[in-house]
Amino acid sequence: MNKINQTYLRFPVARRIEHWVMMLSFVTLGLTGIPQKFATSNISIAVIHALGGIEVLRTIHHTAAIVMMLGSVWHLLVMGYSVFVLRDKMSMLPTLQDAKDGMQALLYNIGFAKTYPQMGRYTFEEKMEYWAFVWGTVVMIITGFLMWNPITATHYLPGEFVPAAKAAHGGEAVLAVLAILIWHMYGVHIKRLNKAMFTGMQTEQEMLHEHPLELADIKAGLTDRRPDAKTLRKRQMIYYPIAAILTVTMLGGIYSFINAEQTALTTITPLTETEIFSPQTPTPSP
Amino acid sequence: MHQRIQIRPPRIWTVVLLLGLGLLIFALAAFAPPAQAAPSYQDDKPNNDFCLACHQEEGIDLKVGSESLPVTINPTEFGFSVHNEEGIACVDCHTNISEYPHPDVKVKNVRDFTLTFLDTCKDCHEEQYTKAHDSVHQAAFDAGNKNAAVCMDCHNPHTQTRLTGQTSGELTPAARLDIPQKCAKCHSAIYDTYKASVHGNALTEEDNTDVPTCTNCHGVHNIQDPTAVSFRNSTPFLCANCHTDASIMDKYGISTNVVNSYVADFHGTTVKLFEEEFPGQPTNKPVCTDCHGVHDISDVNNEQTGLALKENLLKKCQRCHPDATTNFSAAWMSHYEPSPEHYPIVYYVTLFYKFFIPTVIGSMVLFILTDIYRRIINNRVKGTKHS
Repeated sequence: MNKINQTYLRFPVARRIEHWVMMLSFVTLGLTGIPQKFATSNISIAVIHALGGIEVLRTIHHTAAIVMMLGSVWHLLVMGYSVFVLRDKMSMLPTLQDAKDGMQALLYNIGFAKTYPQMGRYTFEEKMEYWAFVWGTVVMIITGFLMWNPITATHYLPGEFVPAAKAAHGGEAVLAVLAILIWHMYGVHIKRLNKAMFTGMQTEQEMLHEHPLELADIKAGLTDRRPDAKTLRKRQMIYYPIAAILTVTMLGGIYSFINAEQTALTTITPLTETEIFSPQTPTPSP
Repeated sequence: MHQRIQIRPPRIWTVVLLLGLGLLIFALAAFAPPAQAAPSYQDDKPNNDFCLACHQEEGIDLKVGSESLPVTINPTEFGFSVHNEEGIACVDCHTNISEYPHPDVKVKNVRDFTLTFLDTCKDCHEEQYTKAHDSVHQAAFDAGNKNAAVCMDCHNPHTQTRLTGQTSGELTPAARLDIPQKCAKCHSAIYDTYKASVHGNALTEEDNTDVPTCTNCHGVHNIQDPTAVSFRNSTPFLCANCHTDASIMDKYGISTNVVNSYVADFHGTTVKLFEEEFPGQPTNKPVCTDCHGVHDISDVNNEQTGLALKENLLKKCQRCHPDATTNFSAAWMSHYEPSPEHYPIVYYVTLFYKFFIPTVIGSMVLFILTDIYRRIINNRVKGTKHS
């Protein structure tokens, strides 16, 4: 009985904060982005109105994009630390086993396999979503840059890339929002309300069902193997300067993303129009 | 003798007929609704011929202060005027004149003399009069500009012919062609520009009535300030009136997709949203006229000024994007729908997502459905085991 009530830490608080930041920026981006893609629909017009008009909406969208980019930088630094300093198992990397697991899960669901696949820290569903998010973020950042800085972009690229970026940004947005609404919602909220991102914890029961291989690793003491203090210190001394350079570079990238150019004048110059009142002479009589 | 007897009966009949006719006329006059007032003037007031007897004379001038006003009325021109056609008498408007010599003119100059007739038109043309009072001309007039156009500046009451078809109520082709001449009286520089434009040239040179005349864009009578933000924001929908009309555009091989393609673009989306949400709020996004011009709109394929030339288009871009370079102008798809010929990258990216999104999302939904199916089956099996 005791063992069943045991809980395991799945996401430490820093990871949970990271998730919430990314989640909030994603929701904001979706809410302010989708109405821009379907700008002529009445729902979009209502949303745009509620948020204070199109210019305000775009400012919110840009701000949320900066937050997501900062979140991505943070994530890369944390991953660097995990991989290089702690030498954690790279449990999120997709493997051939994931494809097999996915196939087995499908076969099991439709009754052609006897058992559901046994998976580790991240299931194939989670990995799929994670890498889709990575892919989506990369596409959105690149295409977003093209639209945010079209003058800089067209110094190097054909002009056509700008509307192409807009098409890709919109397509990717629809894909991302639908994927979250369908895959993520079902996977962690509907199928079973997974509270790991709220409490950080998973029960033994949950672990047994969803991450049996990880549970086995934990029980075998294979997961919490920290490097000794000396090695840790040594690696940190190497990683910190590299991380600092990376941080400066990436933050510089975000800064130039925001400030690369002044795309357009804020007030349009009036057309040079000819004299408005220029009576014909002599003035014709009544 | 014999002959006289033969003539007599018809005489009697004539008397009877005349009496009957007289009675009939009397009855009609007595029971018919009262006739319009206008003709009755002519009974007790001088009729038009009476006035024209003097006023058709060439070269008669009226001294108004230090200025002189020609008061010759050309009877032929007046004869063709709509006022003559409708039987309006000179004295219906010149109400203070009933005899010769005429009363003294008290105003100091010709313009003020014209302005003494300001409210005269209202008697018959109240709708137009009221509309004109909500116009940029009236606003200028109220601000103290006495030269701002009033009714008579556009419609010379002595020569104005009928402008609208009597049955259709639509502006006649002749009137459409004539309007720019009227506006040119005060706006001659704009007229000269317009005359050289693709629209103005077709109208003035080819008598083409498909192209817009001044009033198509500016309206009639209640002409609004064309520099107003709301006017600017609504420009695309103004141009759309004709440019989405295939019955006009097909003749010239012009796309009717220009507004849709504009609204689909970043600039147009913004302007459309502004137009819907805050029609009076300025936006720095361009409307049709910012690239195509206003009175100087030229054929996009014009060899000198056409926007089909990249350099010309780029110059337009640079008005708002001063740092834009050569490639930049192609970021605007020139009203093209992306296709394998025009903007193929955009076309294929769009096509990719058209298939990619349903494939990915469809697979997800299918997988989820199998998962739900399995859960239902498993629960049922569990349920039967328990019971």
